[in-house]
Amino acid sequence: MDAGVHEAVQFIDLNTTAVLFLFVVGFIGGLVSGFIGSGGAFVLTPGMMSLGVAGTVAVASNMCHKFPKALVGAYKRYKYGQVDIKLGLVMAASAGLGVLVGIKIQEWILATWGQAGSNLYVSVSFVVILVIVGGYVFLDAWKTAKKGGEEMVSSLALKLQKIHLPPMMYFKTANVRISMWFTLPIGFATGMLAATIAVGGFIGVPGMIYVLGASGLIASATELVIAFVMGFGGTIKWAMMGMVDIRLTLIILAGSLLGVQLGAIGTTYVKEHMIKVVMGTIMLIVAVSRGLAIPKYLKQLGLINLNDGIIAILGLASFISMCIALAVGAIIIIGAMWRAKAKTAGEEVYEKA
Amino acid sequence: MLRRFKERFQGRAGKAQTAAGRAGNPGQAEGYPQPRENRKILVVGQGDSFKEAEMDYALNLAERLGYDLIALNVGPGPATAATFLTPYRKYQRDEFSRRAREAARVFKDRVTAQGLNFIHLVKFGDLGPSIEQINHEIKRVELVITATDITDAEVMAEVNLPFFTLKGFSEEKITTGGREMRQMRPWGKTIAWGIGTAALYAATFLNSGTVMKYFTRGGWYAALPIMTVFAFSFVHGAFAHHLWSALGIEATKKVVQPRPEAKRPVRRQRPRPELRLNA
Repeated sequence: MDAGVHEAVQFIDLNTTAVLFLFVVGFIGGLVSGFIGSGGAFVLTPGMMSLGVAGTVAVASNMCHKFPKALVGAYKRYKYGQVDIKLGLVMAASAGLGVLVGIKIQEWILATWGQAGSNLYVSVSFVVILVIVGGYVFLDAWKTAKKGGEEMVSSLALKLQKIHLPPMMYFKTANVRISMWFTLPIGFATGMLAATIAVGGFIGVPGMIYVLGASGLIASATELVIAFVMGFGGTIKWAMMGMVDIRLTLIILAGSLLGVQLGAIGTTYVKEHMIKVVMGTIMLIVAVSRGLAIPKYLKQLGLINLNDGIIAILGLASFISMCIALAVGAIIIIGAMWRAKAKTAGEEVYEKA
Repeated sequence: MLRRFKERFQGRAGKAQTAAGRAGNPGQAEGYPQPRENRKILVVGQGDSFKEAEMDYALNLAERLGYDLIALNVGPGPATAATFLTPYRKYQRDEFSRRAREAARVFKDRVTAQGLNFIHLVKFGDLGPSIEQINHEIKRVELVITATDITDAEVMAEVNLPFFTLKGFSEEKITTGGREMRQMRPWGKTIAWGIGTAALYAATFLNSGTVMKYFTRGGWYAALPIMTVFAFSFVHGAFAHHLWSALGIEATKKVVQPRPEAKRPVRRQRPRPELRLNA
């Protein structure tokens, strides 16, 4: 981006509503990402834009809040023994490559089909990936819950772990030994998705669980390491362009640092499949939300003809359902924590360490 | 103060007696509550709490032998009567006794659940004389069990009872009542970090004009927002951490190193070269 764009960027004046909105969404987003490793960005970026923040500033400020949040969350969960740093760094390295390729694809689509085409591509990617992956995660969580919460390593992961394709890597915390060639595509896809829909964790966490064979707990904690590395790199890029509105970042951070720690604590209360339940639920609702936005872009491309009123309603419904996705996630987490705490309150003192 | 202590013990003695009364025990010696004249094990806690290991061990032993249990917490400070103490010392003693009772409640529940008698005592001063005093005052104390760090020699010199120290449990969780945990909540740290956080936010937002001017210049000025968020995440992160623990929301201790339940065979050897016939 050049200096001309920089001069054109307007930084908004903050009012109480905006501050409250950012704080609350920051908190809930933090809670969800502390629990499942990612989340919040998909509401924050459009939310900020609806407050009048320019798109690039919204993305930059959001990213600038993402890495300290991920850092705090990762540190907290590292103390609980849930983070596999090596896995996180290997994934983050290939995710960096994925981001670069993702941006190139975006630029190519933007040049070929314009803004509406790009938006359509983003929305369709959202819907397709989230419905497939989210649906699978949700089904798996459902099955695990029916079996009494005992998580099994997926058969795909077991098969891949048996394939000896040097260099083999051993991830101690995750207790996984697998060829590097299987970790790279997962990291790459995470980066691609992050560049496309801003939430790489929707691929990264299920990838680590079902392809590499890490547990949900460790996958979601390790995702925070990936988010930190990617967020840090992205922030440097955006900050060097002067796009970060530090006020927005700090307000979101005020809420999200509280939330992310609560979410991290929450993982120690609940059964592991709850992470999958929350993730699957959020992904499916977000898919619906992005699905509602598709007609607008189709209309802009002249592919369908729809009333402007309907488009506006669909747009609003899309944003509201996104907020609902986050809220539902937060409610499930807090509800699960509450139940677990109430259940263990009497037994806690008797438990042996 | 002494009267209050006595009243408290006697009040508890009353309760203990009702429990013991069924067994037809009249007993109370010199103001101390007495379970029935059964043999007893004296369990000495660590400070104002009891370790899981000593509770388990003592309970198992008492169950096997059919003994009753006496739990003792010995607080720091002189063994003098509470009347001669400064208000602060009195307060400290009260607090110690209260925490000890909370810890003992857990122990008591477990002991009484096994149908054994249980009393809890709090004393102040040195451990040896305190144990010896109980040995004189309460009949048929047969042995002493503790998991404290004290060396046997310190106490052995003064105590005329078999004295067993449980070793190797120092890392184990010290079990205390939930109420005690709440007492130890870090409100002070929360407030301190909270003030720090508020100061940082005030500094940024009261000078937002200047801040925005420099922070959005780009280039090397990119270091400013990045350093700022690191500083905020450190200070505000610490505040958030203390806030949640002050509110009693802390990680459960059972999660240490969760592992996926992979029962896969670990394949370690490299594939060996094989002779193949290319027909």
